Amino acid sequence: MKFAHIADVHIGAYYDETLAELSSKAFEYTIGKCVEEKVDFIIVSGDLFHVSIPDLGAVDKAVKQMRRAKDAGIPIYVVYGSHDYSPSGKSIIDILDSSGLVTKIVKGRIEDNKLRLEFITDEKTNAKITGISARKKGLESKYYEILDRDALEREEEFKIFSFHSGIEEFKPRELTPVECIPISYLPKGFDYYAGGHIHDRSENTLPGYKNVIFPGPIFSGYPRDLEKNAKGAERGFYIVTYNDNTIKHKFIPIKVCESTYYEYDATGKNSNQVKNEFQKNIGEIDANKKIVLLKVKGKLAGGRTSEIDFSEMKNLLYSNGAIYVNVNRYGFTSSEYTDVKVSGEDVNLIESKLFRENIGSVKLEQDKLLGKKGISLAQNLLKTTRLNPKINESKKNYDARQVDDGITTLELKEVM
Amino acid sequence: MSFEAVRDLINNLDSKIIDNRIGNPAFRDPSVKTYPLNKDGFRIIRKVKSPRKCVFIDGGNQELAGAPNFSVQINRVYFSIWVNDKSVRERILPKRIEFFSSTYSTMLDKEIFYGTSVFPSLPDQKIFLPEEGDLSFNSFDSSIAYKNQRADIERVASISRRFAEWHIAEKIVLNELDKGDIVVLDGTLQTNFKNEEKYMSKLFKAAKEKGVIISGFSKTSGLLTDTGLSLLGAVDKIASDHRVEHEWYYPIAEASSLDHNAVILAVKLCAGSNRIYRYEIQGDCFKWMSELELNEVLSELVYNSCDVTFPGYPYGLVDADRLARVSYDEAEYYRGALLSQLSDVGKLEKFARHMRAKDSHSILNMLVK
Amino acid sequence: MSEIEVAAQVIGGKVANIRLREKTGRKIELGDLLIVEEDDGSGLLLQVYDLEFGSQIPQSMRELAAGYTLEGYGSNLDFLDPKLRNYIVAVVRGIARINGSKVTIPKILPRFFSTVRDIREEDLKFLTKPEHPIYLGKVRSGSKVLDVDVFLNGVDMFTHHVLIPATTGRGKSNLVKVMLWSAVGKKFGILVLDAHNEYYGIGNDLGLKDHPDAKDNIVYYSTNPPPGANTLVTNLKSVKPWHFEGIIRFTDAQREAIQLYYDRFKERWLEQLVQETPSDSDEISAKTIAVIQRRLKTNLGLYFEEDRGLICKNKAFNDKAGEATISNIIQSLESGKIVIVDTSQLSDKAELLIGSIIGHGVFFRYQEYKGVGELDNKPVVSIIIEEAPRVLSMETLENTGENIYDIIAREGRKFKVGLVAITQLTSVIPTTVLSNLNTKIILGNEMSSERKAIISSSPQDLSNDNRTIASLDKGEAIVSSIFTNFAVPVQIPLFEEFVKSYNINSKKTGDTFFTG
Repeated sequence: MKFAHIADVHIGAYYDETLAELSSKAFEYTIGKCVEEKVDFIIVSGDLFHVSIPDLGAVDKAVKQMRRAKDAGIPIYVVYGSHDYSPSGKSIIDILDSSGLVTKIVKGRIEDNKLRLEFITDEKTNAKITGISARKKGLESKYYEILDRDALEREEEFKIFSFHSGIEEFKPRELTPVECIPISYLPKGFDYYAGGHIHDRSENTLPGYKNVIFPGPIFSGYPRDLEKNAKGAERGFYIVTYNDNTIKHKFIPIKVCESTYYEYDATGKNSNQVKNEFQKNIGEIDANKKIVLLKVKGKLAGGRTSEIDFSEMKNLLYSNGAIYVNVNRYGFTSSEYTDVKVSGEDVNLIESKLFRENIGSVKLEQDKLLGKKGISLAQNLLKTTRLNPKINESKKNYDARQVDDGITTLELKEVM
Repeated sequence: MSFEAVRDLINNLDSKIIDNRIGNPAFRDPSVKTYPLNKDGFRIIRKVKSPRKCVFIDGGNQELAGAPNFSVQINRVYFSIWVNDKSVRERILPKRIEFFSSTYSTMLDKEIFYGTSVFPSLPDQKIFLPEEGDLSFNSFDSSIAYKNQRADIERVASISRRFAEWHIAEKIVLNELDKGDIVVLDGTLQTNFKNEEKYMSKLFKAAKEKGVIISGFSKTSGLLTDTGLSLLGAVDKIASDHRVEHEWYYPIAEASSLDHNAVILAVKLCAGSNRIYRYEIQGDCFKWMSELELNEVLSELVYNSCDVTFPGYPYGLVDADRLARVSYDEAEYYRGALLSQLSDVGKLEKFARHMRAKDSHSILNMLVK
Repeated sequence: MSEIEVAAQVIGGKVANIRLREKTGRKIELGDLLIVEEDDGSGLLLQVYDLEFGSQIPQSMRELAAGYTLEGYGSNLDFLDPKLRNYIVAVVRGIARINGSKVTIPKILPRFFSTVRDIREEDLKFLTKPEHPIYLGKVRSGSKVLDVDVFLNGVDMFTHHVLIPATTGRGKSNLVKVMLWSAVGKKFGILVLDAHNEYYGIGNDLGLKDHPDAKDNIVYYSTNPPPGANTLVTNLKSVKPWHFEGIIRFTDAQREAIQLYYDRFKERWLEQLVQETPSDSDEISAKTIAVIQRRLKTNLGLYFEEDRGLICKNKAFNDKAGEATISNIIQSLESGKIVIVDTSQLSDKAELLIGSIIGHGVFFRYQEYKGVGELDNKPVVSIIIEEAPRVLSMETLENTGENIYDIIAREGRKFKVGLVAITQLTSVIPTTVLSNLNTKIILGNEMSSERKAIISSSPQDLSNDNRTIASLDKGEAIVSSIFTNFAVPVQIPLFEEFVKSYNINSKKTGDTFFTG
C-alpha cells in the first residue's frame, strides 16, 4: 500500500499573481509526483483551499490537477480544514465531493451523546480511513469530547485517522498560545495519523500513537510561511508505504522558488541613516528569481518612518530580478509617531482617536488633509481598502475598483 | 522504741482482756432493761425496698476565737434525704443551716453563768435556731461541769449546735416527711443538758403526730458488758463464733427514763463489713412498730450502708458529716475575718488579752510543726 | 443561660489551666468549645485540652473500693451519690474573647464559679466568609460539628504558604481535594504534583474532573491520560542546568561540566551530554561525563544506545515531543487554572525535577512581572507538594543544596508564589522554613516528636494541644493561621459528600446532528 499525505495547500490564499502562480505550481507538482509514484490514494488533511468559496481561477487550476489524479485512478480523501469549512455546508469541498473529484471521509452520527464515526474503505487497498474535520476557532474539540474511541480502536484493519488540529504534545514552544487538542482525544492504535493545520513539518510518536505526521504546507498559506521558507524551512508532503506490517514515511520536498530574507534593525538610527544603509544593503541582495522578504524593526532616534520610501526599495529589488517583494514594517516606529494606546468600544471611535492623535505628527500643507477634514478623509480612505471582492470578481477588477474608489474619495478624479 | 516493752505490754493487756467471758450489757441506770447476750438474740435483716424516706442529720462546729470567758463558734447543721440508696431532693427546707454563736461568761446572782447569743448566716434561717434563753447555764451546772470544776466555756458553746439539731429535726418532720419515714440523728437519743429535753420532746411530739420514726446512730460506743468487755465487741464475738452471716440486729437494752427513751440495738448493716454500731429507736416509736416495720426500717439503713468507701456505715451520715463539718481551713478563714473586724473597730486588744490565757498550746503546736 | 444548657462550672485553675467540673452526663470531649457568658455581654471562648477524673473520695479509698469489686468482696457495694462524688474535670484555656463581631485574645480569667455552656452557632458569627474564599470545613467542637463554615482568604493563605502535617490515613488527600474543589474557578493558579494520582478522579472515581467548571479551570497531565487530558511529556530542551539544583546532587566538577555543555549547546545541552562518548578534554574529564551520564540514567531514565539512539525510559521526558508542555502549564497557572500533574508513574527524582522546572518557570516569571509592575494583575500561584521533606528537610538542603521549593518557601510571598507542603515529618523541616509556612492545617499525628515540632512552629499558642492533636480523628483538623483569630478546630467534610451539593451529574445534551 502506498498513499500520499498532504495538508494546508491553501489554494486561493494569494491575490498576488506571482504567489498565486507559485501556489498552483506547488499543487501541480504534488499531484504529478503522486501520479509518478503511483500512490493508491491521497489524503488531504484539511485547508485544501484558503476559503470555503475561493477565487474560481485558482479553483479551476486545482480542479485540473484533481482530475489528473482521478484519471490516474487515485482517489483523494479529504477533511475540512479551518479555512475551507463552511458552517452552512456550502464549501468548495462539498462541490468537489459531489462531483466525485474528492471524497469527504468524515461520516458519522451522534447517538446517546456519543459520536460514532464510520470508516471509509479504500477499494483498492482496504485501508480504513476516518477522521474529524476542523471547525472555526477549534470548535471541533466538542466532537472529540464525545467521540466513541472504543469503537474505532476495535477496528483491526489498517486504519488511518485524518484530522486538522494542532496537538498539544507536539506543538513547538513558540506556538504555546495556540489552542490545540490533547492527543488523548484521538483514538489509539491507528496505523497512521494524518495531521494538518500546523504549518511546521513534524513526525511524532507517543505511546499508543505511532506515526502522527504533520506535513506542513506544500508552499505557503500565510505570510509567515513565506518567511519560514526564506529562512530554510522545507515544504512538501509525505508518501507513506505499508508493507509486511511496516510503515515507512518519506518526505517529498517541494521548492517552487528560492526565497531570501533580510532583517534590518533601525533602533537608534535616524531616518537618513536607515534610508542610506537599507538601500545599500538591499542592493547587495541576490534577488534574481527569488521571493524577497524584508523586515524592518526598531525605533528611530530621529526623523519619521514616512521619510523612508520603501516602495523605491521594492522597485530596486524588482529591477534586480525579484519575483515578489514584501516589506514587513511591523515594529518599525519613530519617536515622533509612537504607538498610541487607546481603549474604546467602537472601532470607528478608536480609529478616529488614533488619527486625531497622530495627524499632527505628519507634515501636511493642503487644507483638506488637516484637522477634522484630514481625519475624515483618512477614515473614508481606510474604508475603501476594506471593500470585499464581489462574487466571481477577478482580482484585476477588484484592484481596479479599489483604486477607483480611492481616487474618488481623494477627489482626484479630475486630476487623474 | 523498745520492742520488748511493747511485747510485755501486749502480753499484759491480753491477760487482762478475757473475751471468752462475754457477760451481759452493763448500764449504770437501773431503769434500763437489758437483754442477755447469746447466740439466740440475733435477728437477720431481710433486705426489702420500701418507699420510706430516711433523713440523716448531723452538725458540726469550730471555735473561731476563745478565751476562758468567751467562745465564738461557727456552727453548722446539715441533712440529706434518702430512699434506700438514692438521694432525694428536699421539698422546701434548706439543706444546710449555718450560724455563729458567741458564748460569754456573765455574773448573775453572784454566780457565773454562761450565756449564748446566736447569729444566723442568712437572716431567714433564724427560725431554725434555738432560743437564746434556753442557752444560759450556771457554770457549775451538773450537766456541763465535771465534779466541782467549772465547766469549760467551749463545751457550753457547742450546746447551741446540739439544740439546733433537735430543732431542725422537728422542722424536717413537719415539712419534709410523711408517715413511716425515718429520722436518723448522729449519736444517741439521750439528752444531757438542761433545756435539751424541751427540744427533744417537741421533736418526739411532732414525730408521733405524723407517724415518723426517730432514731439515733452512734459512730462510736463506750458501752461495756458486765465482764468489762466492750459491748459491741462482745456481740461481734458471739456473731463470729456462731457464724452469723448477712446483715443483722441484736436488741441490747430498753431505756425508759425522762432523758432517754429508746430501744438500743447493735446492728451490722453490711455482711461484708466487720463493723457493728449502736442504733437506737425512740421508745414510743418502737412500741408501735411491728417486726415487719422494724425490718423495713433497718433494711433502709442496710441499703444506705453499701457505699464501697465505708461499707456498713450509712452513707447518709457520711454525707451529712462531710457537709456539716467545719474544716480547719474554713475555720481559719472565718477566724481571720473575725480578728480583722475586731481590729477594724479597734477592739482586738480588748479581746486578745483574754485569748492569750488559752492560746499557748496552739502556738506551741505551730512551733513544733 | 438555661439550666439545660449548662455543661460545666469553673472551679479553679489559672490562665492557661482553668479547671471546670463537668455536669454529669454532658460528656465533654477533648477539643470541645465552651462559652462563659460574661456580665458585659461578651463571651469567653474556652477550649478543652485535657480531661481528668475528679473525686471527693481520696485516692487510697478509691483503690480500696476497686479492690472490693475486683476481688469479689462486695458485689452489692457501690458508690452512693455517684454523680456528686465522682466526676470529670475538664482543663481548658481561654482562646478568644468575643464581643459581637470583635474578637480579642483573652487576658483575664472568667468569673470564679461561673457556669459554662456548649458553644452555639451564633457565638461564631464573627467567622465570616472572606474574599477569595477557600473552604476548609465546618467548625468542630470536640467531635461535634457545628453548622458554621470555615473559610480562609485564598490569596492570603496561598501566598503565605501552607503546611499540612499528618500521618497516613488522617485525611490529607481528602482535605486537599476539598480545598481544590472550592478553589476551582476562583483564579488561583495551583500546581498539584499528584504522587498518587488521586485528585483528578480516574474512570468512575469522583474527583476534581467532576466539578461543573472543570472544563475551563482544571488541566490534567498524566503519562497515561484519559481522553481529553494532556500527556505529561516534557521535551529535553525544557530542562536547564539550574533545574537540577537541590534535586540531584552534583559535585562541583560535574556542575561545571554541565554548565559548559549548556553554554556550548544551549537548549540541546542535555541531549548532547547524554549522547556524548566520554573522553578526556582540557575542560572535562571522561570520568566526569560518565558519572553524569550514569546519574541521568539512574534518576531520569535518560541514556544513549548506538543502535537505538537517545532513550527516554521515563515517559515524562522526550527528545521530540512536549516542547510546549512546560510553557502550557505555566500559562495555565498564570490564567488562574488548577493544573494537576499525575506523577504516580514517575520516579521520585523525576517528579521533583518536573516540579522544579515548572516552579522555576513560574517563580522567575513572576519576579519579572514584579519588576515591571504587572504583578498585581496576575493570580496567585501555589505549588502543592507531597512528602515535602524530600525537598525541604534539613538533610536534603544540606546535602543537595537549595532548591526551588525552598526558595519559594522563603521568598515566594513577595512574588505571589506560594507553597502547600504536605508532610508526615514536620520535625525534619528547619524552623526557618516552618516559620514561613503561616497556615498550618493540622491533622492527627501519633508521633509526639512531630506534634512537638508542629506546636512549636504554629502561629497560635498550641502548647496545651498535644493531647488534642494526638486524638484528632480522620477528617478532624486544627487550622492554625496568622489569618485566624485563634486555632480553629474543623471537621473536613468527606469529599464525596461535599460535592453532592454541586450539580455534578448533569450531563449536557449536545448536538444530535453531525455533519462531517
